[in-house]
Amino acid sequence: MMRLFGRFAPYVVKTLWRHRARTLLTVGGAAVAMFVFCFVGSVQEGLRRLTADEDAQRTLIVFQENRFCPTSSRLPLDYVGRIQKLPGVADVMPVQVWTNNCRASLDIVVFNGAPPRQLRQARDLTLIAGNWSEFETRRDAAIVGRNVAQRRRLVPGSQFSIGEMSVKVAGVFSSSVPAEENVIYTSLDFLQYGRGQDFIGIATQLEVKPTEGTDPNELARRIDEALKSGPVATTTRSKGAFQTSTLSDLVDLIDFAHWLGYACLALVLSLVATTTVMSVQDRIQEHAVLQTLGLRPSRIFRLVVAESMLVCTIGGLCGTAVALAALGLGGMAIGAEGVTIAFRPSMQLALLGCVISLGVGIVAGVFPAIQASRTPIVTALRQG
Amino acid sequence: MALVEIRNLTKSFRKGDEVITPLEGVDLDVESGDFISMMGPSGTGKSTLLNMVSGIDRPDSGAITVDGVEITKLSRGKLADWRAANLGYIFQTHNLVPVLTAYENVELPSLLLPISAAERCKRVELALEAVGLSDRADHYPRQLSGGQEQRVGIARAIVAHPTVVVADEPTGSLDAATSVQIQVLLKRLNRELGITMLMVTHDPNVAAIATRRLYLDRGQIVETRSDELVGQV
Ligand SMILES: Nc1ncnc2c1ncn2[C@@H]1O[C@H](COP(=O)(O)OP(=O)(O)OP(=O)(O)O)[C@@H](O)[C@H]1O
Ligand SMILES: [Mg+2]
Repeated sequence: MMRLFGRFAPYVVKTLWRHRARTLLTVGGAAVAMFVFCFVGSVQEGLRRLTADEDAQRTLIVFQENRFCPTSSRLPLDYVGRIQKLPGVADVMPVQVWTNNCRASLDIVVFNGAPPRQLRQARDLTLIAGNWSEFETRRDAAIVGRNVAQRRRLVPGSQFSIGEMSVKVAGVFSSSVPAEENVIYTSLDFLQYGRGQDFIGIATQLEVKPTEGTDPNELARRIDEALKSGPVATTTRSKGAFQTSTLSDLVDLIDFAHWLGYACLALVLSLVATTTVMSVQDRIQEHAVLQTLGLRPSRIFRLVVAESMLVCTIGGLCGTAVALAALGLGGMAIGAEGVTIAFRPSMQLALLGCVISLGVGIVAGVFPAIQASRTPIVTALRQG
Repeated sequence: MALVEIRNLTKSFRKGDEVITPLEGVDLDVESGDFISMMGPSGTGKSTLLNMVSGIDRPDSGAITVDGVEITKLSRGKLADWRAANLGYIFQTHNLVPVLTAYENVELPSLLLPISAAERCKRVELALEAVGLSDRADHYPRQLSGGQEQRVGIARAIVAHPTVVVADEPTGSLDAATSVQIQVLLKRLNRELGITMLMVTHDPNVAAIATRRLYLDRGQIVETRSDELVGQV
């Protein structure tokens, strides 16, 4: 950066400052666009993590056949025992799912009910507040994912009610799987027998951990085969496949949103390029004077690129920083049918924001810079 | 060998179907320390000649050699380097960078030279002192009068200790009194610092301060005596 500016840094900065209204508007525009870009990027990262996660590939979810919303899948609890008897099964955990909203929503609240001890073993959860023992002993106790806690301002001791559901927060947890942090865990019984609930002897889904060396897909096939004769037919898939298919509408939408991300980049590019072209055209004569003084055309080129890069980088970094801060503090998530995608800030996203701001700034400056460095000196001087 | 040698210089412009040839086979020698003024009717190619000596325009044919370097053969980049080291250019108007102070404007050409920061600072201060504007160093162009702006332009033209300084109507947009100040200044720079100068002007009084007076007409240079010239205009 310093090499590019060199001794002419004050000139570049002062030139930008001279038209500060224009410069600040451009910086603002670049910031807004990069903000949106980072947001879209974080949603996509969240989706990718959800499906590419190792745990998501290894864990199987047994769900009632042809059902999608968790309220409509009802598996008899004795399936737990029947699956456990199959070779290659390490553990089976029944999970009761309750959500306030089965459709795609930005303010989804998902309760998962599971036997507390089993939950503690099966999931990689770290309590950052509260304690396990209260969760394990108290019937209406719940541990709350960090994201939900942030969004709903929950701390241990809070009472959290939504619809018919009311729980006492026993702890707040973080997880290596960001989507987990959008979930509220209660005991299985609580969700089965709670007020207005009628799920006695029933679970929404069963989570199956295969033993080492067992092919999960093959095991899934065997589970469905074994339960075919039961009262309820099942569909068993890897957790990743289950989540992707549950979120399929959202996945399409998110895939589409990445075009929105690219559109934002195009927007920054054209905005910064336009401003730089204007600034260059204002100064055709000034550049001719500088060349007369002995600045090489290549240096004029670099000065213009530096100008464009500075504007774009400042705007882009501001946008990126604000987006990451908002993602970090907001604890936002999008979800449908009991599966959520977490929006989390990440190092990659921060890095991507910086690199892209810089890159777009350079690209945006190239055309005006060529224009500025190619204009014949005498022609430009005569324009005054 | 003369400091500046112009040999058989020809330049023409095309305007639609019409071809104008303001300079045709021009020859001129400028010795070190010369102060040359050039007059002539409007549109005869005075500025064009000056621009080619300055290395900001190229002739169709012919050669210009300055201090042994044939500048007409240099590439664009090399020519820029040559200008930085050897040329001072005094414009008629609008020549300062508006966002920079007088000091920074004068400093600009010296930023391109391989000299230390201390040396640069010294040269800028000396140049500002030479034009009598040391007390205006921190002023921006918009805070200066036309005459002061022109003096800053002159300081900028001499700060790099150029081989030759050219000036295209340096007093063209100044009132009579300010014009006289500039004349005195240019004359002093030539006499006291031995700066070689090539100046175009329409004002016979300005032309009179030069040591050699040239007249350009129909593509050719005629050397005149000052009394003849004053009579003609
Ligand atoms: N880029 C150009 N394209 C076309 N014609 C040009 C160009 N530059 C100069 N000319 C023509 O060349 C001729 C010489 O121009 P020049 O500017 O050198 O004249 P001048 O002697 O400096 O005139 P003045 O005293 O009015 O400044 C003029 O007829 C002008 O119209
Ligand atoms: Mg002219």
